Amino acid sequence: MKTPHKQDAKQRKMFVGKAASPGYVIAKAKRIARQRFTVSPIKIPKENTAVQIESFHKGIFQVKKEISNLRDLTLQMAGKEEAGIFDSHLMMLQDPSLIDSVISLIRNELWNAGYAFHLCMQKLIENFENSDGIFKERAQDLKDIYNRVFFHLNSEEHNFALQDETAEGVVLTGFSVGPNMLMNFGKGKVLGLAVDSGSATSHVSILARSMQIPAVMGLSNLSESVETDELLILDGTNGIIIINPDKNDIDKYKKQIKVFQNQKLELFTMRDLEPITMDGKYIRLNANIERFEEASEIVSFGATGVGLYRSEFLYFGRDTLPTRKEQAEAYRNVINQLDPLPVTIRTLDAGGDKMLSSLNMETEANPFMGWRSIRFCLDRKDIFKEQLKALIEAGDKGNLKIMFPMISGITELEKAKEIYNDCCAELSAEGLCVPKIELGAMIEIPGAVMIIEEIAKRVDFLSIGTNDLIQFTLAVDRSNGKIASMYEPHHPGVLRSIKMIVDAAHNAGIPVSVCGEMAADPLSTLLLMGLGVDEFSMVSWSIMECKKIIRSVNYDEARAISAEALKFSDAGSINNFLRKKYSQKIKSLGISSFITTQDFSSSDRALVRVDGEIERVEG
Amino acid sequence: MISCKLIVENSLGIHVRPAGNIVNITGPAQSSVDLVYSGQRVNAKSILNLMMLVIVPGSEVEFVINGKDEQKVADELTELFKNKFYEDAS
Repeated sequence: MKTPHKQDAKQRKMFVGKAASPGYVIAKAKRIARQRFTVSPIKIPKENTAVQIESFHKGIFQVKKEISNLRDLTLQMAGKEEAGIFDSHLMMLQDPSLIDSVISLIRNELWNAGYAFHLCMQKLIENFENSDGIFKERAQDLKDIYNRVFFHLNSEEHNFALQDETAEGVVLTGFSVGPNMLMNFGKGKVLGLAVDSGSATSHVSILARSMQIPAVMGLSNLSESVETDELLILDGTNGIIIINPDKNDIDKYKKQIKVFQNQKLELFTMRDLEPITMDGKYIRLNANIERFEEASEIVSFGATGVGLYRSEFLYFGRDTLPTRKEQAEAYRNVINQLDPLPVTIRTLDAGGDKMLSSLNMETEANPFMGWRSIRFCLDRKDIFKEQLKALIEAGDKGNLKIMFPMISGITELEKAKEIYNDCCAELSAEGLCVPKIELGAMIEIPGAVMIIEEIAKRVDFLSIGTNDLIQFTLAVDRSNGKIASMYEPHHPGVLRSIKMIVDAAHNAGIPVSVCGEMAADPLSTLLLMGLGVDEFSMVSWSIMECKKIIRSVNYDEARAISAEALKFSDAGSINNFLRKKYSQKIKSLGISSFITTQDFSSSDRALVRVDGEIERVEG
Repeated sequence: MISCKLIVENSLGIHVRPAGNIVNITGPAQSSVDLVYSGQRVNAKSILNLMMLVIVPGSEVEFVINGKDEQKVADELTELFKNKFYEDAS
């Protein structure tokens, strides 16, 4: 029963962040504390050891970055002597005997990473505290390291303690919430995500959207202002959180939820209709998938195929590499289920922020520009060839296309194709009838855009990975909250790059698709379609929405609007122009998910009144 | 395999920084490097192990180095100890 008196005492507070996954939730908060964590000895199932060891390595890597930053700062502000202390911290942090003993506790005693680390550090700290003289003070250094690492482990770890005790659905809030944490809760337990850090393109946001969990990111200090079990409203469509909402809020959002659910139902009527514009242009709307289990699901969302199958997910969370047979089975599973729809499988795109525990990849200072993706595959031909052979074997039936990620130039592309041809020859010698499979290049690097004519001549299709292309073109780390607002998909530099790619593809007589998050944003879809993009690939549930939009516009008109948009010299003007042209239309269609380009700009924020109605003023 | 016995000649013994200096040599080396001190044998690539031994000034320590670059490691360690970890010079 409610206790009205207590309810009144709680203050209504409103926060505006970044809309990261559309939808509305009214539920209790579950706060994941940043500090003052408790150490809980939790035994893990044997099959989770690899995941735990990986999260331990990640924790160490994060802290290494933190301490390195501190050292550099100290070096600037103080001097070499003072900075030296952090050198020894780094050495202690990466101490082989410490790391070995933590890993052995995880592997052999089946302790979770946090507790294994706790045990090892406690022993060390005790030893140092009990020693005489010069090392006594070193215990403090160890404590500092302990706290830092533990925080990182804890943010990954907490879910193990939480998952069982959380009976009802909650909105998870915290300083940072990782994909692992989200995945570790049972299905239906997490109704929403409200996170202090991150943005709409963080991995956890992408995941939230594919799981249809509304999410708001970049809320700066929300998690400090909300307590577990406090009621809150999460508006993932507009990026708003209201803690302790009043009756008006609740009534209003209950209505919203109804409207949203109806819209969703209505969208499902789109499923069996063709993605075709009013003047008859067919635009392929494909789905991005990560696991072969998703294949059956995407048809129910009306996808015209798979535009991006992220094959690396076959390699995640395990100690050994998947065998050729295993891979071929997974690929064949998807291809056969969707036959005759096309399935584009991207070859292993590991590295960057996607580390594989089975590959023992070293942590790098600059992982996004490091030894990853096709670069890794060209060096580790053994792994690459196994995958290509599995793909060729799986491609004997159905409609498979193979896509090489992160192509930076001709040499790389030719090398990848050569290895592919070798695989074909070897399989052919083994008696296999090698099918003809289309090969494509994923364009994510500005340098590749500059020579796109050369690349287009050598492949059967092009695919633009907008997430990385934007990140590299604008030199913006999309996971860095301080500059996330600079990650602007409609920056003219980005749009002109895309236009170059489209023109080169069409000159070469091949199709071009877009498979970044941008594809699922209604305004961007229309803009990109107008630029000549032939296909889109997106999270499956955005497909029907996109279809609805595409079916309501004229292709020729969209071409004209995009040509006009390209003339502007800044993203703000382009966005205003696009809103003017399309907002009314999108609104009249009842489409509510404005993502990425629809974040509140600072001037919009002023229009959100904390006490009254929430208003959204279009530019 | 090389065994090399060295005397700790600086005034503070092997505290954090000298231990760090040692690991700077042993850590990147391909060879395995152990340190033997008053009956204990530890991995000399571990700064924590080295610190835990609380090696006092004037002690003799033994490095047991085994691997491709063992001679280079032995030379560098000898140089480091000879120069008293570059501490007392100033």
